[in-house]
Amino acid sequence: MPSGEATTDITSASGASSVSYQGATKRYGDAKVAAVDELTLEVPAGEICVLVGPSGCGKTTAMRMVNRTVEMSSGDILVGGESVRSKDAAQLRREIGYVIQQIGLFPHRTITQNIGTVPQLLGRKKEWISERSAELLSLVGLDPEFGDRYPAQLSGGQQQRVGVARALAADPLVMLMDEPFGAIDPINRERLQNEFLRLQAQVRKTVLFVTHDIDEAIKMGDRIAVMREGGRVEQYATPAELLMAPANEFVEDFVGADRALKRLALMRVSDIDLWEAPWATAGQSTAEVRAKLDAPDVEVPYPLLVDAERRPLGWLSERDLAADTVPSQPDSPLGPVLDRDDVMRDALADMLQGGAQYAAVTDAGGRVAGVLSVEIISEFLVSPAAKEEEHGAAERPLSTEKVDD
Amino acid sequence: MIEPTVLAAAGQVGEDFFKDRDAGSLCQANNANLFCWDWAKNNIDRYEPFFIQHVELVVISVLIGFVAAFGLALLSRRWSWLRVPFLLGTGVLYTIPSVAFFFLLLPFTGRGRDTAIIALSVYTLQIIYRNTILGLDNVPRASIDAARGMGMTDRQILRKVELPLASPEIVTGLIVATVSTVAIATLAALAGGGGLGEVIVGKEKLGLDFKTNLIIAGGLTIALAIVFGLMLMGVQRMLTPWRRARPA
Repeated sequence: MPSGEATTDITSASGASSVSYQGATKRYGDAKVAAVDELTLEVPAGEICVLVGPSGCGKTTAMRMVNRTVEMSSGDILVGGESVRSKDAAQLRREIGYVIQQIGLFPHRTITQNIGTVPQLLGRKKEWISERSAELLSLVGLDPEFGDRYPAQLSGGQQQRVGVARALAADPLVMLMDEPFGAIDPINRERLQNEFLRLQAQVRKTVLFVTHDIDEAIKMGDRIAVMREGGRVEQYATPAELLMAPANEFVEDFVGADRALKRLALMRVSDIDLWEAPWATAGQSTAEVRAKLDAPDVEVPYPLLVDAERRPLGWLSERDLAADTVPSQPDSPLGPVLDRDDVMRDALADMLQGGAQYAAVTDAGGRVAGVLSVEIISEFLVSPAAKEEEHGAAERPLSTEKVDD
Repeated sequence: MIEPTVLAAAGQVGEDFFKDRDAGSLCQANNANLFCWDWAKNNIDRYEPFFIQHVELVVISVLIGFVAAFGLALLSRRWSWLRVPFLLGTGVLYTIPSVAFFFLLLPFTGRGRDTAIIALSVYTLQIIYRNTILGLDNVPRASIDAARGMGMTDRQILRKVELPLASPEIVTGLIVATVSTVAIATLAALAGGGGLGEVIVGKEKLGLDFKTNLIIAGGLTIALAIVFGLMLMGVQRMLTPWRRARPA
């Protein structure tokens, strides 16, 4: 994968349009129940809105009404404030990126020709297309040399990347993605999801993303619309809100009994207020350390032995503190050490794995930054303050870069 | 088998055709001889006009058949209920014995090349139609969905996606239709349509009795079928570079 350095004109592109459903309804023939019933939904420009729900809930129909591959029966949808019906359907579709689960690359066209589909329809020259194609290929993490190959020569994951590149080729203001990673194996799906989030952080398109997988919805969405039969939106909220406060039983069931744990996947250790670590260095007087432990704002019952660089070495026990000075070898092993950038779910898993109630948290330099305890996590999960903090975490694109403090 | 009177009406070439131009060899006088090399060497050019007629019969018939069958395929792509009647209709026409077909047409179109071309064209319909709809059916739904979703019009989808992807099957249909038309066209002579059939039968069945003639005319027919087949396979190959792309 290329890193964020791929600063092409794609990334500084013209931007994104909002999408506004205004009572959009789809009724097939004389069916009693509408496939999508009076859908009203605002998707702000540049955000990923996930439509999620069980099969048959009308999420794909709702998405397809935007590019009119399904025609609305009544109501309207505005893209960038303009009704989708104000344009010729083919013209409209050329302005909207489209990615489907089966990918739908053209087997008889090279990768470059595939990516150039919409630009070609818009009258772009061959040279422009091959340049653009090479640019997009590296943006989605493929060797530009792939341009001359045919789809059959690529793996499923590579084909899906080309599908995304093809959808981006004419710099659309809105992208429609219908279960784009649904047919990819779990390991590659996770990679593609991460890559797409990083790509999205660069291109900032408005994305309508359809999935039936709530975990994918939570991971990908800035906002999630949980839908049920008849295309009714049961709740439209940020992932954190959805997990914190499901609007009703349907959403609660759909989100799953483990929603508390899922919330932990949305945040990092740095998003939470850690306990202060009462630390001690070898040779220090134990009286001094005891005084530290007794301070009112210290909640950890044991001091943490650190080296001269304040890197954690282990926990000091009652027995260690019985001596006059702090020993250089602590009685208790250090146990799990967490990084401030660790995802909370993984941090908790590490602590449970190590059978530890407390874990030292270090910053980028390996110095002790605080202590995380199982108690903090469980308090956090019930405190209403969690909502705000998680929201902040959810907005941050997932990346591997270190957070500067 | 074919009635002798029918055959008598067929052949246009008489004794002159089969007579040795230089009278140097008497080989052809003996019907028992399998192949007279000298006669063949000296008189092969006599086959040229009939060979050209044969090529014309085949090319014109297949072209007409292709245009008609292709039109039927496009119609039944638009209105799928037409598919069964078209398949049945072209199927029934295909099963009419060719000799009978020529004679059935005679009262309407008279003797001559037009009659032959009509019959030969009709025979190609079933094969070309069937292969064309098969090819269009095999186009991946996802490619069409993607094409439509990216803003191709119906006509663009047909031209840029469906036809290129259906071309292997369509050309396969053309190959089968062409090769079989080369064979059936030898019967065009029964309707006075010209072609190598004229020489094979000959006036008063003279051609049938002369084995050297049968071998030359038959050989030319086979060669023609092979050449057409190879040419079309070349076209097919040219149209489908993506099918040779191996996973790299």
